[in-house]
Amino acid sequence: MTVHLSVVIFLPLAAALIALILPRRLTAPLVFSATLGVLGYAIALIADFDAASGALQYVTDAAWISELGVRYSLGVDGLNLFLIALTALLWVVATFAASLRTWERPRLFFFHLALAETAVLGAFCAQDLILFVVFFDLMLVPFYFLIGCWGDGQRVYATTKFVIYTLVGSLLMLAGAVAIGVLSEAPDLPAAAQALAGVSAPGGSRLSFSLADLQARTLPAGTQQWIFLLFAAAFLVKAPAFPFHGWMPDAYRATPLPVLVLLSAVLSKVGVYGFLRVVLPILPEASLHFQDLMLVIAVVSIIYGSVLAFSQDEARLVVGYSSIAQLGFITLGIFSLDPKGAQGAVMQMVTHGLVTAALFLIIAALALRAGGSESLARWGGTALRAPVLATLFLIVALATLAMPGSPNFVGELLILFGTFEDKLVYGIVASVGVVLAAVYTIRLFQRAMHNRVAPDVESRDLSLGELATLAPLVAVIVGLGAYPQLVLKRSEQATTARVEQASKLAHRTARTAAFNIDRRW
Amino acid sequence: MSAGSYGWLVLAFPLGGALLIALGWRLLPGRSAGWIASGAIFGSFLSAIGALFALLEREPEARAVTSTWFSYAQTAGLSVDMGLLIDPLSVFMALVVSGVSLLIHIYSVAYMASDRGYARYFAYLNLFVFSMLLLVLAGNLILLTVGWAFVGAASYLLISFWYRRKTATAAGMKAFVINVIGDVGLVIATFLLFSETGAVDYAGVFDGAAKVFEPGDTTLVIACLLLLVGAFAKSAQLPLHTWLPDAMEGPTPVSALIHAATMVTAGVYLIARTHPLFELAPTAADVAAIVGTLTLLFAATVALVATDLKRIIAYSTISQIGYMVLGVSAFAYSAGLFHLMTHAFFKALLFMAAGSVIAAMAGRQSIDAMGGLRVAMPLTFATFTAGALALAGAPLTSGFFSKDEVIAATLDRGGLYTVLAIGAYVGALLTALYAFRIVFRVFLGEPVVEARSLARGQLAPSRHENPATGEQEDTDVGFPGPEHHIAERERSMAAPMGALALLALLAGLLGVPAVTHVVDRFLEPTFADSQYIDQTPSDGAAYLGLAIGGALSLVGIAAAYLLYVRRPALPLVLRARFARTHRLLSSRWYFDELFDRLLVRPTVAAGRFGNAVVERFLVQGALVDGTSAVVRAGSSAARAAQTGQVRAYAFLLILGVSALVLYFLSGSV
Amino acid sequence: MVIAAATIAAPEIDYAGLAPLFATAGGSIVVLLTGLVRGRLVQRVIVPLLSAVVLLAAIGLAVWNWQPGDAKPIVEGALAIDTLAFGMAILFYVAGLCAILLSLRESAVGSVGAGEYFALMLASISGMTVLAGAESLVTLFVGLELLSIPLYVLCAGRLRRATSLESGLKYLIVGSVGSATLLYGLALLYGATGTTDFGEIAAAAGKGSIATDSLFLAGTALAAAGLAFKASVAPFHQWTPDVYEGAPTPITALMAVATKAAAFAIIVRFFDQALIAIRGDWAPALAALALTTIVVGNVGAIGQSSLKRMLAWSGVAQAGYLLAGVVVGTRLGLQATAFYLAAYLAMNMAAFAVVSARERVSEHGDRIDSLEGLGRASPWLAWAMTIAMLALAGFPATAGFIGKLYLIDAAVAGGYQWLGVAIVVGSMVSLAYYLRVVAVIWMGPGDLAPAPATVARAHPATGGSAQADAAAQPETVAVALLAAAATVFFGIVPAPLFDAARDVGSSLAGLG
Repeated sequence: MTVHLSVVIFLPLAAALIALILPRRLTAPLVFSATLGVLGYAIALIADFDAASGALQYVTDAAWISELGVRYSLGVDGLNLFLIALTALLWVVATFAASLRTWERPRLFFFHLALAETAVLGAFCAQDLILFVVFFDLMLVPFYFLIGCWGDGQRVYATTKFVIYTLVGSLLMLAGAVAIGVLSEAPDLPAAAQALAGVSAPGGSRLSFSLADLQARTLPAGTQQWIFLLFAAAFLVKAPAFPFHGWMPDAYRATPLPVLVLLSAVLSKVGVYGFLRVVLPILPEASLHFQDLMLVIAVVSIIYGSVLAFSQDEARLVVGYSSIAQLGFITLGIFSLDPKGAQGAVMQMVTHGLVTAALFLIIAALALRAGGSESLARWGGTALRAPVLATLFLIVALATLAMPGSPNFVGELLILFGTFEDKLVYGIVASVGVVLAAVYTIRLFQRAMHNRVAPDVESRDLSLGELATLAPLVAVIVGLGAYPQLVLKRSEQATTARVEQASKLAHRTARTAAFNIDRRW
Repeated sequence: MSAGSYGWLVLAFPLGGALLIALGWRLLPGRSAGWIASGAIFGSFLSAIGALFALLEREPEARAVTSTWFSYAQTAGLSVDMGLLIDPLSVFMALVVSGVSLLIHIYSVAYMASDRGYARYFAYLNLFVFSMLLLVLAGNLILLTVGWAFVGAASYLLISFWYRRKTATAAGMKAFVINVIGDVGLVIATFLLFSETGAVDYAGVFDGAAKVFEPGDTTLVIACLLLLVGAFAKSAQLPLHTWLPDAMEGPTPVSALIHAATMVTAGVYLIARTHPLFELAPTAADVAAIVGTLTLLFAATVALVATDLKRIIAYSTISQIGYMVLGVSAFAYSAGLFHLMTHAFFKALLFMAAGSVIAAMAGRQSIDAMGGLRVAMPLTFATFTAGALALAGAPLTSGFFSKDEVIAATLDRGGLYTVLAIGAYVGALLTALYAFRIVFRVFLGEPVVEARSLARGQLAPSRHENPATGEQEDTDVGFPGPEHHIAERERSMAAPMGALALLALLAGLLGVPAVTHVVDRFLEPTFADSQYIDQTPSDGAAYLGLAIGGALSLVGIAAAYLLYVRRPALPLVLRARFARTHRLLSSRWYFDELFDRLLVRPTVAAGRFGNAVVERFLVQGALVDGTSAVVRAGSSAARAAQTGQVRAYAFLLILGVSALVLYFLSGSV
Repeated sequence: MVIAAATIAAPEIDYAGLAPLFATAGGSIVVLLTGLVRGRLVQRVIVPLLSAVVLLAAIGLAVWNWQPGDAKPIVEGALAIDTLAFGMAILFYVAGLCAILLSLRESAVGSVGAGEYFALMLASISGMTVLAGAESLVTLFVGLELLSIPLYVLCAGRLRRATSLESGLKYLIVGSVGSATLLYGLALLYGATGTTDFGEIAAAAGKGSIATDSLFLAGTALAAAGLAFKASVAPFHQWTPDVYEGAPTPITALMAVATKAAAFAIIVRFFDQALIAIRGDWAPALAALALTTIVVGNVGAIGQSSLKRMLAWSGVAQAGYLLAGVVVGTRLGLQATAFYLAAYLAMNMAAFAVVSARERVSEHGDRIDSLEGLGRASPWLAWAMTIAMLALAGFPATAGFIGKLYLIDAAVAGGYQWLGVAIVVGSMVSLAYYLRVVAVIWMGPGDLAPAPATVARAHPATGGSAQADAAAQPETVAVALLAAAATVFFGIVPAPLFDAARDVGSSLAGLG
């Protein structure tokens, strides 16, 4: 297929720019159709994708800042294929959900919404480290405005906190990225000499940030380690993982729900995606060196997130903290440094995106039926006159707690299998999180749908609009539950390739072919 | 048609039924949803029979058919197929499940007739049957886990079916969470087996295990123990049993189907299914046997003093599953499974009859409030008694043969198992006692108001209150409908009860020692690889066992007669005499309190702590406010230096200059 | 006889090379004279127009002289006419043009007198040109003074305002102290090396003996301090906020951008050319200064309620970033510095344009509140300011991002990883005050209801509503938009700036 990736990435932005000069009523439809276009392309991509090859496909590669060796290079492989699809799908859903409401200054709102999609798609497609950082930061701008201008409550405080938190991370990442680019070439020469060598080469081509090149190059272990920490900070804040989630509660409270769908379902994935795309391939030694640290953070996030999730009263925060736990699982899978774990992580990224988005749409619907309140205490007994809503919610809830048969289970199973492989203890502690997930999800479901009817709840079934936003997500969830191989088959090659180096190291140091029981217990 | 395609049919029918009802629920008038559901199960039952014959056509050693549809998850060395294993064991289970389900569906058609959630009920029920059949037919451990979780979910839905009842939703939560604990055990076990044998399908795992492990290998024992966690959670064995009594919040047919006949016996099936592993890890098998015995004793004692009709039967279920677990862990597989089957019959029957009684009592469940229903409800009385006889193991009933086969086999193992067998016999005595405690207290004695009015042909006025808490019902949903249905008036209730009564009394004849061997002959191919396959007790031993068992049950029944008919005052005296023991039993050995203190409260406390302390002081306080405070302090310092006073500037300036000069000069010396 | 025979050899002078300097210097005189003519037309139109023409001409001449590579200094080696000089000169001229446009409605123009005002501006710009090209200690000092003295006057331009006068006075005093320090340092250097020529100083410094000569080193230290003043490098920055706040905004803009550029031009030349041999001695000192400056500037900017003060502090911080490019003493560093100076011009001009636009119509003056509801009232200004702030904070797709990237790259490549990290951490802190501005523009309570119309204060040519005011000063809006557009453009297509920076970098031969 010959569609240029950049066309897809910038399609929403272009549509939004056009919309800026068109009359207000055209804005939403135009942006929406742009997101539809992206979705269509994503589906075609999945169909056309060559599952057999782990190599990049649909590659774009052009010089951008040649002086700094920064290239405008994009590509798709099994790792980002389904994240792109997820982004496309959720943006369609969120844009539609947003177009059902009326917004102050709609053109500006949808402009930011579209800009955000462009940035996220760019971040997922980027194959050049600096380009990735650029899109990664660019993402913040629209969300900064979306929360700050259209949010509720302490929107300005929340959005500032959110952006500062995230940008602190990503600026550190920027420093790390430059360091990788500069230091990763001939490690034996002193840095100044490198600069010398660099200038002699025309166009300052002494540098390269292309992920492929960087993977081929080597970095001294010591350097890798401090760079790793910079990147880890960026990605853990983005996820968010405990204890870097300080921005989460405020941001989740303030963000308008259609935007929150994206914030929670898609943005959180960019961070963990970065681990697989950048950190493991380029900093394998450091990844191994800090493996235990990361696993501890992951496990603590799982337990802490779960425990807090079921002691929240605000529905948003229940989902918010549960995301901390779920992303903990993803991190766990990635830093199990095992192909199974990584595969599970990829699967979980997609499925968690789906269920979280669905959950927030459901919360929106429920709040609508509970006099605008999102407090569990003021919910209850909605199920009776809303059987469709109840059924969809039930399916989503069961998927959220990763019930076997749901796609989330496949992800979690692979993650756990990958973790058990070398780090059984972490895996077992994480399994406690599985149980807790059941607790907080069922609690959310019951408090909303069951028990006596709360005073200001008047139950009615989904409107067509709500159904139109929710049904596709549930359909995809069920479909993947029945046939997860759709994802696994396409992502296997690329994903295993990402962890290959690190896991080789890990197994060289730790695991021998013959199974060794003592190491486990 | 091949056995494989029959297997898929078995699954297709109930799933189709569930979807049909779920999608068409608005359009289904009257009781049609119920009949559609029953029809689906009937189709499934026929397909199971089809599979049975398809198997019987084959050579005994070729009676394990695997049928793969598509590759479910295949990546990074793990390969899971969407595939079934059709062998005698799975077909046996499929027959029991679909058969009993069919009867209970038919019973429900009438029993649930006036419930608001009629269609929803049957959609759930079909979904459950599908899940249960998936569980027993699954061809690999992952798919088993899927079915395992699905039955858990369906059970959750049906327990909290009357979801406006706090008690119901709470019970559902409890059941779900404990079941998830079981799932986790299962998953970890699956991993250990996978990482050793590189397979998750049964054949692969068993062959691999036989190669990799020598008997008693630590990993294998741990794996088996984890399997047991799953089994115990599902089959309500100690200490994971607490959810089952609460599960009685669900409609009575649900208790009959899920929480007596089918789902709760899944643990027994699991042990039987993975017997090659347990035979390689005898330690785990011993643990299972011990837990089984303890459970059967514990539950029996509680059943002695409990007063809620359904809860008594629930504890008796826990106790009976204890026998099955004991049986399969003693490697007397066919005995355990035989008891599983007969228990399915008489326990389902007991619940159905109890449902009829509760309906007559307008929803009341305490046996203290009951009495003398014999005259008013002859059919119910007859069938219940039949069930009670089988449960008590009265001679020649099904329970008599199956239970005592289990005990005899246990006794035959000798050593530790002799002790366990004795325990089992004590349990048998208690069983007879509590079984007939119900019969006598409910049906004999002085007729209560409801009994008398019913005898005059009028149902008791329905009380819209929660029997457990007495709180007023929400009349939108959440109580078994305005008018109740009793077996005496509903043919579609009477018929299944009658059928089960016959089975409860006669099914034992399938396994009369030295005479008939239908069940164990049929199951033989599955367990052919077992090293204990020939170690059946000698006929003499078997008959001795039967004799003891029969005697004990008769003693128990007699004791019950003495206590509850001849000398009704005596129980009160005893209760007064052994007050402490009675409190211990009536508060169910304080297991719920234990869990509450050990798990629930700490977790809740942790949540509060997290919100109040960690979030506020660490995450917000230290990380957010702390940082910004530092920065602000710096800025105020900088602004303080910015007095606007030229002399202040001059001062700093001199400082700066001299610092520079000093630095450079230091370079010179 | 002999004496008669002896003739003084007139120095060889390359007039082409000097043309831009002549243009601005001459231009300032012409403007001054024209300004003597009374009459609204002359004062309001001719004089500014003339000054603009002068600067445009100067730009043309500079471009015409553009010659990459190491050019031989002219005027007996007193003045360099290399790309560094011209590159910087172009920055001064562009900044000057912007300042002129911003000044059109400036009250100071009236009070000082258009002729004087613009003439002084041009004179100062000539001074910068000299400074940027200084190849000897003497030229350096002459340039510095020629740059400063007119600014002292201009800062006090708003005669009616006490703060303005105070700022002028302060600038005069502190500035003179700085000049004195510098002069003393230069004297010591001359004493140590016996020459004023950078080339010969470099040669002398190359000899190990002098590298440890305390006279020489003390001179270096004092000179460094003196230059640090002009670049407002901490701890020699204190004058900056007061002066920036007090001075007429167009002048502030000119100082913030052009003066800083000039200062860095000479710093680069002084250290990377004359003293490159003893880099080992000064690099750590400058690094320490850079760090202090980054910290002080950024924390100082937080919580400032006056936009001009905030920009002043941020300017201090940015000076710290720029210094990193000098510290490493590499060609890469020089290029990065040059690039960042250009980006810095665009970003700050946008910001100052908006400030001057607002302070004329809002009763809040240059306080941050004056921006409240701007997103609704006049979106163009709002976007310009937003872009400027995000760019200064280093958001991607702006020149600021690439400039920082370049500087970090230079620092890391030069073996100063920690300085690179310092730049990053500085940017983090800077978010606190840049984002605050954006928040006020778009998210203040004012953004839901249009900002209340504010009374016209500064100039009669203003309409009733803020919108009308924005519309009533098209040149200011134009400057803001052009600068913002440039910021974004060079953020996405940085290649032209990189080429220019490379040419500039090629000017100093001594660099590795």
